[in-house]
Amino acid sequence: MSAPPLVVVEGLARRFDVSRPWLARLLTREPRRFLQAVAGVDFAIPRGTTMALVGESGCGKSTVARMLVGLLRPSAGRILFDGTPLDPNAGRKALAPVRRRMQMIFQDPYASLDPRWRVEAIVAEPLDAFGLVASRAERRERVSELLRAVGLSPADGRKYPHEFSGGQRQRISIARALASRPDFLVCDEPTSALDVSVQAQILNLMQELQEQLGLTYLLISHNLAVVSVMADQVGVMYLGRIVELAPAAELFERPRHPYTRLLLDTVPDLEMRRRERAPVAGEVPSPIDPPPGCAFHPRCPWANGRCRAERPELQPVGPARVACHAVEEGRLAA
Amino acid sequence: MTAAIRRFFDHDLWWSFGRSPLTVAAALVTLAFLLAALFAPWVAPHDPFDPASLDLLDAFTPPVWTERGDPRFPLGTDDQGRCVLSTIVWGSRISLLVGFAAVLLSATLGVALGVSAGYLGGVYGAVVMRLADVQLTIPGILVALTINGVARTLVPRELQEDAAIWVLVLAIGISDWPKYARLARGTTLVEKNKEYIAAARVMGLHPLRIMVRHLLPNVIGPVLVIGTIGLALAIVSEATLSFLGVGVPPTTPSLGTLIRIGNDFLFSGEWWITLFPSLALVLLVLAVNLLGDWLRDAFNPKLR
Amino acid sequence: MALLEVEDLVVEFPTRHGRLVAVDGVSFSIEPGEVLGLVGESGTGKSLTGMAIIGLLEPPGRIARGSIRLEGQRIDDLPPEAMRRIRGRKIGAIFQDPLTALNPLLTIGRQLEETIRTHLELDARAARARAIELLREVGIPAPEQRIDAYPHELSGGMRQRVVIALALAAEPALVVADEPTTALDVSIQAQIVQLLKRLCREHRTAVLLVTHDMGMIAETADRVAVLYAGRLVELGPVEAVIRRPRHPYTQGLMGAIPRIGRRKGRLVQIEGAMPRLDAIPPGCAFHPRCPRAVDRCRRERPDFVGVGPAHRAACWRVEVEAVS
Repeated sequence: MSAPPLVVVEGLARRFDVSRPWLARLLTREPRRFLQAVAGVDFAIPRGTTMALVGESGCGKSTVARMLVGLLRPSAGRILFDGTPLDPNAGRKALAPVRRRMQMIFQDPYASLDPRWRVEAIVAEPLDAFGLVASRAERRERVSELLRAVGLSPADGRKYPHEFSGGQRQRISIARALASRPDFLVCDEPTSALDVSVQAQILNLMQELQEQLGLTYLLISHNLAVVSVMADQVGVMYLGRIVELAPAAELFERPRHPYTRLLLDTVPDLEMRRRERAPVAGEVPSPIDPPPGCAFHPRCPWANGRCRAERPELQPVGPARVACHAVEEGRLAA
Repeated sequence: MTAAIRRFFDHDLWWSFGRSPLTVAAALVTLAFLLAALFAPWVAPHDPFDPASLDLLDAFTPPVWTERGDPRFPLGTDDQGRCVLSTIVWGSRISLLVGFAAVLLSATLGVALGVSAGYLGGVYGAVVMRLADVQLTIPGILVALTINGVARTLVPRELQEDAAIWVLVLAIGISDWPKYARLARGTTLVEKNKEYIAAARVMGLHPLRIMVRHLLPNVIGPVLVIGTIGLALAIVSEATLSFLGVGVPPTTPSLGTLIRIGNDFLFSGEWWITLFPSLALVLLVLAVNLLGDWLRDAFNPKLR
Repeated sequence: MALLEVEDLVVEFPTRHGRLVAVDGVSFSIEPGEVLGLVGESGTGKSLTGMAIIGLLEPPGRIARGSIRLEGQRIDDLPPEAMRRIRGRKIGAIFQDPLTALNPLLTIGRQLEETIRTHLELDARAARARAIELLREVGIPAPEQRIDAYPHELSGGMRQRVVIALALAAEPALVVADEPTTALDVSIQAQIVQLLKRLCREHRTAVLLVTHDMGMIAETADRVAVLYAGRLVELGPVEAVIRRPRHPYTQGLMGAIPRIGRRKGRLVQIEGAMPRLDAIPPGCAFHPRCPRAVDRCRRERPDFVGVGPAHRAACWRVEVEAVS
């Protein structure tokens, strides 16, 4: 397929100012402090596929998601949607046609829906916001269609969110996200708050909808098993950077970066092969004061002098791209 | 329709209501005052403000159960021959009117400023909150007195009496907005971070629309609770101002005015002129306060 | 003799709609030094079972029926003071959120020493030495200095290690761990799970591991009990239950769990949802969602059927395998 990717991200970065209040800094002569949540991220998502960003807390994956849908402004870099760059300075009206085509699903089913609104109003909100329906009858018809598409009944429109379970609320969120007929859905940990059996239903639903409607997904998750059944492409993030980017099958069969190996090692073994695991020590360092050189070096068994001083760039290794000196130098078999 | 009514009465609120006899009593008392005030012309045995119906010979009649009592005036009469019971009924009307109107003004002003300060933040939010903080350091009564004084100099003499009530409402209303603003801002800050607000922003909705359609309905609940208690406070404020002589004019007295008038006669033996309006005020304020307490507790488990 | 014996435990909540039964006749036992996993999705009553055993059931919830025996002695009907002495000494607890499990105003040393001195007859110096030893055991680096740290000065993983130290401080015979790693990052989860396993093996402490995470059970438990709608539906050795589940719910659950190595594709899904506590169907609670349900399932609540060595399932439709 030679169609251009639907979403392209180049050098995307985001910095947060976490300095102490102005007066305090004035008195103690402290410099400003910054948190580099995302430090330069590049990827492309082909139409109709699912890309996943995985990592632990503080790696910046949620920040990337929020920049894509416009909840946060990038500090640097650019986003191209369907070939056109998104101008963060453009007004709300100018961006509306693009906003209509990308929507978001959130993690917490209990906070994603306004508790005071009926479900029908919640699902119809994008229709009103983008002016997509001409009459109340048309609105009601479209809402019924959407509720049916996610496995709920049109009669559920009259109810309030608190009358539904977590899984059902997530379905309502999905219905709302689909209302404006988007091409691209950003899904931020959509099933992390759900039980396993409910998660299976929601993941299956998402896949069905992708096939039926030709949707493109960006899936944010810390759960590698979920990513394994959902993604075509996976980016592993650590402290604001992508350390490995590969097709899903390749990543799980042949993980290359030490952090990827660590993450895969921590996934519990349901096949009960009873392998002896020696989990890597240490915790994710604070993003305010990251280690110099490669951010992973304090926890990496293969770190050498170069790793402590020089930050590795993403290099192609087979079908994957890996940011690791050990892999590049051949010290670590890839 | 019937299903909705059934659902309304099935609500948890009524269940906790029914379980507390004190609350039920408080509600009944408040309801009694409200009805009496609403239907004053029919409830009060006399019209105490019609000079033609007054007879100075009736002045200083003690309550009906005492020696010189007159069954025409169950709670006695004041220095002008006005039936104390009737003045209480009509006075409550003024008290409640001013109270409700003042709370409405405070709440509207406070919520509007609080929600916008919370959602928009930045310099605007900081300025609004500092203003609220500053005003909170000044006793409410002083603020009300000041606004009252300023308004009176601005209003031309002929309109003073008619405008008195609205000046009062303005004074008490403005003196109380910081409370509502703080609460509204606090709730807004909590709700702002919830994902349904993010979803609305992803849709590209205008901030004003988000504030009115999403934040406002979620702020109303807690505001209602402190509004009820605020009503009690507003009534007391009005009574205080009237007692001090800067409230409603004596021709349309409120409970506070009655207490002031009666005060002059307290030590000369005509105790009933001040006692009964005072009791009425205490009863009303207590009942509204208890109602507000119950409302606050009843809302709490839901918020959890 | 089993260390812990739970028999026909019923936990109820009186509400204005009637009495809700959150735990409905659950029975199991734990041997000394064994790790039993209590697994179930949300609303199955597994946390309440753990709370009932520790004696921290919050009113209006109450034990309506059944018995809990620790080392042969009944503990469910003890007065609060007696229960308090057993708690901490014989039973330790690890809860989900390390942030709220520790008192933010006291150093971790003070909290450890307090627990140690409450249950063991040690003077201040001996208690402090033991506290330092415990911190070393749970893998806190430089424990002599860290002992005077406050909880907020430690990371999430470190805090949970302190919580584990607290639970083991008085050398309890049983530790009840309720979702001990849910609030932690995945790489930390693995570390904590390893630590728990090792410590309990070394101290011969039995563990009741309450969780929704089958993966953790697979790694840590010896036996596992599966709960559904407050009822025990399957109980057996962990390898048997995970590799060859016999109850339709357990089978559905194992199929629904995504696994690494599976390519992009659909998961097995169980239709419908867990019934709410006030709407549990008659007969077998799972029958509306069960692909194998027959008339009997709709009418009669199933008894336990032995399906393998020390392995039983509550189902009318389970096939008894020939022991091979």
